[in-house]
Amino acid sequence: MAKKIASLLLAFVLALGLVPAMAETADAVDYTQWFPGVDTSEHVVLTWLVTGNIPTNQTNEALAILNEKLTAAINAEIQIEWIEWTDWQTKYNLALAMQDGTVDMIGTATDWLDAWPNTQKGAFLPMSVEMLQTYCPQTYASVSQEHWDLCKYEGDIYLIPEDNYAQWTNHGFLYRGDYAAEAGLDGIHSWEDMGVFFQYVKDNYPDVIPWDADGSGSSYSDQMLGGWLSSKTGGINIEGFSVPLFFGASTADPYTLSTFFLEGDALVDFATLMKSWSEAGYWREDVLNYTGDVKAEMKEGLTAANQHHTQTWKTERYNIEKLIPGSDVGFFWFGEESQTLVSLNITHGALAIAAQSDAPERALMAYDLIRNDPTFYRLVNYGMEGQQYYVDENGFMARPDTYLDESVQGVTFNFWWGRNDNLELRSAVVDWEAYDALTAVYDAVKIDYPYGQVVFNTDEISVEMDNLSNVFRTYAPVICFGKAEDPVAYVAEFRQALKDAGIDAAMASVQAQIDAVYK
Amino acid sequence: MLQKRALMNDTRLLVPTGSGYSLRKSLRQNRTLILMCIPAIVFFFLFCYLPMPGAYIAFTKFNYNKGIFGSPFVGWKNFAFLFTSGQLTLLLRNTVLYNIAFILLGNFIPLLCAILLNEIQASWFRKVTQSIMFLPYFISAVLVSLLVYNMINYDYGFISNIVRQFGGAMPKYYSQPGAWPFIIVLVYLWQNVGYGTVIYFAAITNIDTSMIEAAKVDGANGFQRIRYIILPCLKSTLVILLLFAMGNIVKGNFGLFYNLVGGNSLLFGTTDIIETYVYRALMNNFNFSQGSAVGLFQSVVGFVIVLVANGIVKRIEPDYSLF
Amino acid sequence: MLRIQRRPGKVRLDGTDRFLRGFTYVVFSIFAILCIIPFWLIIASSFSTEAAIRRSGFTLWPADFSLYSYQLISMSPDQLIGSYIVTVAMTMLGTTVGLFFISMTGYALQRKDFPYRNGISFYIYFTSLFSAGLVPFYYLIVKVYGLKDSYWAVLLPLLMTPWLIILMKNYVKAIPHEITESGKIDGAGDFRIFWSLILPSMTPALATIGLFLALSYWNEWYYSSLFLGSQVRYRPLQYQLYNVINKVASIKNSLAASNIVLNDLPSETLKMATATLATGPIILLYPFVQRYFVAGLTVGAVKG
Repeated sequence: MAKKIASLLLAFVLALGLVPAMAETADAVDYTQWFPGVDTSEHVVLTWLVTGNIPTNQTNEALAILNEKLTAAINAEIQIEWIEWTDWQTKYNLALAMQDGTVDMIGTATDWLDAWPNTQKGAFLPMSVEMLQTYCPQTYASVSQEHWDLCKYEGDIYLIPEDNYAQWTNHGFLYRGDYAAEAGLDGIHSWEDMGVFFQYVKDNYPDVIPWDADGSGSSYSDQMLGGWLSSKTGGINIEGFSVPLFFGASTADPYTLSTFFLEGDALVDFATLMKSWSEAGYWREDVLNYTGDVKAEMKEGLTAANQHHTQTWKTERYNIEKLIPGSDVGFFWFGEESQTLVSLNITHGALAIAAQSDAPERALMAYDLIRNDPTFYRLVNYGMEGQQYYVDENGFMARPDTYLDESVQGVTFNFWWGRNDNLELRSAVVDWEAYDALTAVYDAVKIDYPYGQVVFNTDEISVEMDNLSNVFRTYAPVICFGKAEDPVAYVAEFRQALKDAGIDAAMASVQAQIDAVYK
Repeated sequence: MLQKRALMNDTRLLVPTGSGYSLRKSLRQNRTLILMCIPAIVFFFLFCYLPMPGAYIAFTKFNYNKGIFGSPFVGWKNFAFLFTSGQLTLLLRNTVLYNIAFILLGNFIPLLCAILLNEIQASWFRKVTQSIMFLPYFISAVLVSLLVYNMINYDYGFISNIVRQFGGAMPKYYSQPGAWPFIIVLVYLWQNVGYGTVIYFAAITNIDTSMIEAAKVDGANGFQRIRYIILPCLKSTLVILLLFAMGNIVKGNFGLFYNLVGGNSLLFGTTDIIETYVYRALMNNFNFSQGSAVGLFQSVVGFVIVLVANGIVKRIEPDYSLF
Repeated sequence: MLRIQRRPGKVRLDGTDRFLRGFTYVVFSIFAILCIIPFWLIIASSFSTEAAIRRSGFTLWPADFSLYSYQLISMSPDQLIGSYIVTVAMTMLGTTVGLFFISMTGYALQRKDFPYRNGISFYIYFTSLFSAGLVPFYYLIVKVYGLKDSYWAVLLPLLMTPWLIILMKNYVKAIPHEITESGKIDGAGDFRIFWSLILPSMTPALATIGLFLALSYWNEWYYSSLFLGSQVRYRPLQYQLYNVINKVASIKNSLAASNIVLNDLPSETLKMATATLATGPIILLYPFVQRYFVAGLTVGAVKG
């Protein structure tokens, strides 16, 4: 504990020391002091694997400046290898599988970029404490021992966590607050309210589809089922599996697996309610094949709700208000009814070094600067001051008038692997009052992600997991959009299929792995 | 230069006899023909045979850091998920039946089109229609699925709107599995008939025109000419195309099925093929070894089928066989 | 599309002929319309506003005329032009070289007096059944040949396919064997026979296989997506198109969709406009290209 306080203090002092330095002139920072005794005589080009579209905007200009500064500071420059979204899973994994030394830094995540499976496959370099202390000193000091422990696999540190960035990616419904008020609701706080809201929209706005869900993607099944589960039973999602069937029973008893999918009425109730929503026409008949863009439709007033997470609500509330004044977009978060909320896992974003990297030291140094130095940080996250952003009189990050479209004037590094609240600027285009009010509610009920210490190993149950994945992907969309003739019978069929696919064995294995760490 | 080589060919009689004599002699005799095949032989060696040992990946737990041959051997484990799914029969049935429909209709209709086109005198009409028939081939599967959705979706589809205007009831195709074999085959044909027509049309133009003229002079009418001259000449092309397709009969067209059906599991009963199943099982569990295992399984089945089919063809008409 | 000599039209038409012809005209006209309409819809919607498409789906006429997506694309015209140049160059080079090798091999393999023809045919055909799979192939191209981010990684693997070689072999087989025999009697070597006697008489086959080969280069996106990374400035046209069109679907079907906030996803109209620009010109040019292609082959063969 004392160590943790000490490291926090150190980080605080460093941050304090840096802010004034930055305020005067950026060049006043002496980076040789940052990495004492490190030899940087050889120039190094670092390749960084980042997911995202190849930017067509001003990113290259910003990258050139970044490289100038990096060369001056640590005699290195960065080259970004973008993994474009089209077929990104294949390309990302192929890039990891090559291990020919060309890739150095890798953006990763335990929940959506398979950080642990890839660690198990030998893609990443284990990092020693000395190495981190020497080449990544500020980051090392700012991350607590407890958090470093969560980044270990078989005793070695493999990931540098984005652990100092408040972000809520818990899911729920974004909804038109004005319609909800007209429907006599004081905000939406339950699934039943949501139904009332949809019915009101359906009855009073014939040109608006209550929720024009683009059900062709698979993500709704995961989020709606998981959302209902946490709302009605207080269960907690356990991440790191290829199929979202594993939940802790409740915040009070997180280390026993939930049996939501196997027994009880909760799942049946969900299927029945969704069937009634479907028949009432809250979404289109052919929802399962629709590929439209709900976010855009909501901006145009064509739909009244969208299912996504808090972070989306944060930006969209402001955007929609600008286009439809008075829209007052609200957010109904899944779990509200049972007051179940889990903070984002600190490895939701993380940086790893490639196992065969030619220059792991310099990669760590570059990362340390980008994560902790205000000049580097702002360049990567906001762009070039004066061109992409300026700090307005209230201290908010604002965009100049010439900045119209991120895809043209913006700078996009997709730096999701080490954002730092000490250096974050609040955006001028967010309704902070509403956001802070919601997060205050969150803060009152949230618990830390309870399973951070287990790195699940699914080798023994891989066959079951693949079969379960197929079963889930087959049944879940039908339940979720109320497409079964008889929802009760369909749930029974789903449960039987899960049993046949081996869910008992899978759950036993997962439970045993949890027990091994927590009991 | 060429003549010199031809002359050298003639000196082959001087080659001393020995155990390897006949082989060496035959190699020499056919030197030019072998040389003409060399680019292809080298090409397939470099791009197909050289990586083939890597198929070993299907039997390993692939470790990125250790490479394919350093990874631990796990035997048949990567094949297990496909065989224990309980779906394999359904998947094989769907995959094979669709392929049979694609192969039969996808050859018969282009064959017919090519023959009919050949009957047309106006060359502008021939050219224009052939070009237009090729258009759908250029449209990617995603756009095709978007077009199909915009045509037949229940709420706002182009066709639904028309049907409703005339007071009809639009079927809900996206929840009727029975309709999809027809839709998918139609879409496939729509995209591929142009391509197939070109293949057969080229074969027809290869036919000696004097034969057709002679038949005309003899008073053969259109049907007779087709029946007795053109069709027999197309037989070898047809057989080759069929044989070729056999080898891939258990491989599905992922792009077409995945985009048209997507995650709509209401339709899986009639539309789920091996590829879409594998995608669903592995979509969030990225595993190169398992993917390779499925590919290997399909190849072996295809190989056996082709060996049998080619053997039969060879027995009946050796000229038509693939190898 | 392929040239055939117009037959002397003096032969009388009997009833069946007339029926056959009328039937053909009707059927082909209908089919042609079915092929054109979707294209028309794509073009029309590329000129619509995004909101109009969302509201009323595809319509035969742009519901709300807009050039926005074209303006968006034209902001970086060099990208589109570069893509065109890369694609056209690869198509021309790949088709020429590939066609030469394919026809040579096809000719040799159909020669009945060539004892290794079955062995080599099998050697070639076998590769269409068995492939090593993604990782070994990728490993070979990237690590062994060092072709990551090189256009060669796209150009080379497409040069030949077993399918085209066997199709070629089948076409060449229709050429009377007497031509080869007469060449032999004149003392010509096998290559000379192929080059001066066979090639000129196989124009339709060359045109067809050439067309297929050209199409496979033109439509190629798969190898590009594997091997041409973000350091490559100009991507082949169809890959560019594939990218724009598939981006959204790729994300929606993965866990990422639930977790990250994505802005700047291509709109429907942008997809349609890209599709129009990437396919439109080739379709307009196609009849001309094809005509000159066939003519070129005839001339080339005679000259050679």
